[in-house]
Amino acid sequence: MTDTAALSSLSVQLLYLSCGAFLLAAVVVLWRRQLAAIVRVFALQGVALAGIVAVLAVEQRSLELALLAVGVLALRAIGLPWLVRRAMPAAGPARETSPLVNVAASLLAAAVLTLLAYAVAQPLITLSPSPVTRAVPVGLTVVLVGFFVLITRRRAVSQVIGFLLIDNGITAAAFLTTAEVPLIVELGVSLDVLFAVLVLQVLTTRMQAAFGDTDLDDLTELRDT
Amino acid sequence: MNPAAVGLGLSLGAAAVASVTALVCPDRVRPLLVGLLAAVSGAAGVVAGVAGMAGHRLAVTLPDLLPLFGIRLVLDPLGGLFMAAVGGVAVAAAVFGIGYTSPQGRGGSGLHRRAFQVVYPLFVAAMLLVPAAASIGTFLVCWELMAVTSLLLVLAEHRRRPAVAQAGLWYAVMTHLGMVAILVGLVLFAAHAPGGSFAALRDAAGELSPLVRGVVFVATLIGFASKSGVVPLHVWLPRAHPEAPSHVSALMSAAMVNLGVYGIVRVGFDLLGVGSRWWWVLVLTLGAVSAVYGILQAAMSTDLKRLLGYSTTENMGLVLVGVGAAGMFAAAGNQVLAGLAMAAALLHVVNHAAFKTLLFLSAGSVLHATGTRDLDELGGLRARMPATTLLFGLGALAASALPLGAAFVSEWLLLQGLIHGVAAGGVAFAVTMPVAVAAVALTAGLAVASFVKAFGVGFLARPRSAAAENATESGPTMIGAMGLAGAACVALALAPTVLVPALAPVVGAAGPLLDSPAAQGALTLRLVAVAGSLSPLLLAAALLVAALAVVLLLRFVADRRTRRQARLWDCGAGPLSARMEYTATSFAEPLQRVFDDVLAPELDVDVTHVQESRYLVDSVEYRARVPDRIERRLYQPVLRLVDAWGQAGRGLANGSVHRYLGYGFYTLVGLLVLLAVTR
Amino acid sequence: MTGVLVAALQVVVVAGGSPLLVGAMRQVRARLEGRAGPGVAQPWRDLRKLLRKEPLTPRGTTEVFRLAPVLLMATTLVVAAVVPFLTNATPLGPVADLFAVVALLSLGAVALALAGIDTGTAFGGMGASREVTIIALVEPTLLVAIFALSVRVGSTNLGDIVTSTLHDPALVISPVSLLAALAFAVAIIAETGRLPVDNPATHLELTMVHEAMVLEYAGPDLALVEWASAMRLAVFLGLLANLFAPWGIASLAGPLPVAVAVAALAGKVAVLGLALAVGEVFMAKLRLFRVPELLAGSFLLALLAVAASYFLA
Repeated sequence: MTDTAALSSLSVQLLYLSCGAFLLAAVVVLWRRQLAAIVRVFALQGVALAGIVAVLAVEQRSLELALLAVGVLALRAIGLPWLVRRAMPAAGPARETSPLVNVAASLLAAAVLTLLAYAVAQPLITLSPSPVTRAVPVGLTVVLVGFFVLITRRRAVSQVIGFLLIDNGITAAAFLTTAEVPLIVELGVSLDVLFAVLVLQVLTTRMQAAFGDTDLDDLTELRDT
Repeated sequence: MNPAAVGLGLSLGAAAVASVTALVCPDRVRPLLVGLLAAVSGAAGVVAGVAGMAGHRLAVTLPDLLPLFGIRLVLDPLGGLFMAAVGGVAVAAAVFGIGYTSPQGRGGSGLHRRAFQVVYPLFVAAMLLVPAAASIGTFLVCWELMAVTSLLLVLAEHRRRPAVAQAGLWYAVMTHLGMVAILVGLVLFAAHAPGGSFAALRDAAGELSPLVRGVVFVATLIGFASKSGVVPLHVWLPRAHPEAPSHVSALMSAAMVNLGVYGIVRVGFDLLGVGSRWWWVLVLTLGAVSAVYGILQAAMSTDLKRLLGYSTTENMGLVLVGVGAAGMFAAAGNQVLAGLAMAAALLHVVNHAAFKTLLFLSAGSVLHATGTRDLDELGGLRARMPATTLLFGLGALAASALPLGAAFVSEWLLLQGLIHGVAAGGVAFAVTMPVAVAAVALTAGLAVASFVKAFGVGFLARPRSAAAENATESGPTMIGAMGLAGAACVALALAPTVLVPALAPVVGAAGPLLDSPAAQGALTLRLVAVAGSLSPLLLAAALLVAALAVVLLLRFVADRRTRRQARLWDCGAGPLSARMEYTATSFAEPLQRVFDDVLAPELDVDVTHVQESRYLVDSVEYRARVPDRIERRLYQPVLRLVDAWGQAGRGLANGSVHRYLGYGFYTLVGLLVLLAVTR
Repeated sequence: MTGVLVAALQVVVVAGGSPLLVGAMRQVRARLEGRAGPGVAQPWRDLRKLLRKEPLTPRGTTEVFRLAPVLLMATTLVVAAVVPFLTNATPLGPVADLFAVVALLSLGAVALALAGIDTGTAFGGMGASREVTIIALVEPTLLVAIFALSVRVGSTNLGDIVTSTLHDPALVISPVSLLAALAFAVAIIAETGRLPVDNPATHLELTMVHEAMVLEYAGPDLALVEWASAMRLAVFLGLLANLFAPWGIASLAGPLPVAVAVAALAGKVAVLGLALAVGEVFMAKLRLFRVPELLAGSFLLALLAVAASYFLA
């Protein structure tokens, strides 16, 4: 951990601003029904994540972090959204019509998850209280919200986004707690994510071909009874 | 001479005289005499209570009157506040009862009969005694007396409506289960103390193990919460309060429920000395859930008195939010905020007593005049019952937490406590306080919806039934009683600067861990320890000035012709009929849809087609019912279980006397064998 | 004494400027939709015309119907005097805090809802029912947003909140401010009946909320309702502007700072109003039963703001 006490007030505010945008994007994913909009918001979240890393890089004068910021931007704001958009069925329904938990209730659940994340993260923060670690609950919240998206949304694309939200949250939490994820680790994780998305993309396309729909609940039909 | 002693003596004496008078005097004058004497009893109770708040301590011990512990009465500021609140409600209710129960009244309610009138003053006396009881025996006796007399009063009209008997059954079972819980808690407490007096308990509380303290608190909390109608123990309240005669409803809903709060504060803060934080998180959670659930059900109700009953659950919930927050702060050692939250809760108790009295009495006036409580059949009462309409409007304003209403001040104080509580330290506060604020806010918003519905649909627009069409204004005693309660509402709303400083000794009496809330200023309520100020009086003055300015402006600027009556435009449609109006059901429909998942309403749409063709609709029948979901989910299974158990038990009783005697014999022998073996 | 004068000036500015704000918003809308538009001063001309008409009382209505516009106007005037629009040291500051201001504005809306029921028409009841539903759901958002703002100041007093932001400009881009501002903005859109919650220009029975309640008003009464509604919009936008970006407000009394403050307030409110108008061109009205989703979202934002104010402080 570098000396974060030296963080200037402005960069703290900028960091928190990026964290706020990062969190907000996760919330908006829950809020919107339009799949295209959800993917767009996910791309914006990638930008916010890159912003977090960039602020840390500038503060610590670290070239490695700056490179990472560029990498995060390229992968999470451009690459992954592009892949997901390609996976989006051309003719299938473009909306998350009836999530398992309705939107208003999802939002309230997200509120509860946020408070939970903050409560749980307190011991982590007290380990080394600094302006940077205070933002760790944001990453945790995004992980929880991503999980929530996974269990309540029906469309395959939403599921992919939920999975990616979890990954984004973990990445953010990692940067905020240690501030120096080795480049190689980050590369490995990113590669993993990339493969996962590719697999999911293939799966979605196959599903679309088999069922004419991307509602994952249709998979129950594959079960022997 | 101690004014507290004089007041309490006079109060109990008047109640006793009233009860005896009811026995001996003829039908014609009975309501008048009993009403007047009960009012005197209530007024003397107010005097005693205020004297108690002002610091006149009263301690009476009559060791021989009751076995075990004897009668022991102590009046301290905390008990004084609740005694004064009960007394105040009793005055208005008693005066109202003169007209409401008179045999000359419409339809001959039968409430002038001896059985009802004898019990009524006893109920008032029992409620006045509960906050003064200072030993376990005395407390339980007064508590049980209060429960039994109120049960008898609830059952007063059981011959006229079958629903009354059912409500009475629910009430009897719930109140006695609550009584058992309190009994268990207090006896467990006393077992660890040298005696049964509250003083002895207070001294012994320090040595109790945390487990025993927790069990005592939770057991008494269950009993007291059921008396206050707190979710999930509220199911009896929306049944029993509406089915009782209206002035009894007022006494129960505005005075008796407060004593549940009193019990929680007395046991939790005073006797047990605050204890652990989780107790109060529990209380706060129960309060928040009750507030939201209660007001949501109220917003759905179409029965005027049932709506008011659910609103009682809501308000007790708000009070418990304050009490719970006070306990959390006290457990965390923050005395200032604890005092503030407690003062807010107590202020809300008093405010609720005032406006709920007014609302139930007005509802009684409507019931008396129209014979119905169904909002869907009311309407248009403004022209027929102007005084009742005005007073109900006043009560609705007070209840809906809007400015110039009484509840606004106490909820403002409560919100101040919660907001400053975030800084009290710890994650627990940072998580609970925002949620509590949100719950209070949602409650306030839904309260507005409920009372706009109750007042707008019930009293404005045009009558929806013949009963409402032919309503006439109630008699002078009923109006006078409502006016009394209305005046109290106005005074409480505009002059909290008088009452809040007077609450200081009361909060102080609730325990050493609470700091008395410092508030200063004659016109503006200015909190001392934390930043915050509000001036209802100046706000009212400013509104008045602004309204006058608007009227004057209109005089100068606008057209000077006199107002002309014109036909309702209604987008050029034909003449209106009452069937075109929005009803209470339709008014609440959007909210019902929004809270669909919580309320789980039962909707039935029956479409009858014309015989010749399926494409033509002959009639559509739409039925919607919003059942109490907690009752459905929690109580029905238990009831079914009890029922099954009862069915099984029937096999044991076949009618043979020998068999019954045999059970006793076998049990006796069995016990003796057990004794012989274990020795 | 100067404080009272400034408060009076605030009332005059709000009362005089609000019809122009509404006019400007309509004009922008008209231009974006390819119409010429009636001009910025048209609401004033409408008010003048309505005030000169004969006052009418529909048969069967009560005092509630007649007094509601006066009460609506009175609450709005009081709020206009209390809120720190031009100076952060208003003499009326201790009289009413942010809670009281919000509650006063609800009081006016409730009066109008009662008037809607009082007409006994289906439209009046419908409008009142919908309005009250929206009020009930907006309340949590508003109060929690207020909570977020007041935590860092330790007070719900409006003047204190404004002063603290003035002293520390970096607070403006803190997540607390941004999240709370967003939540507040959604709540304001709902409270003032703008798109996507309510369409102020519609008279279609399926969609109208505010207009349904005031359908029976005519002449001077209608003028009062329209004027007060415009003032409510101005007051809410001014509140939003000054709570989150209070620059330009006069810290000391004197003709020059106050004049600057008037200009700053007018500028900020105009910018917000125009942004709202432009946004409305590109937005459709939400179904009534989608509105709770919007409000749940803004509630979540407000709660996040509170959480951020504690955990990131």
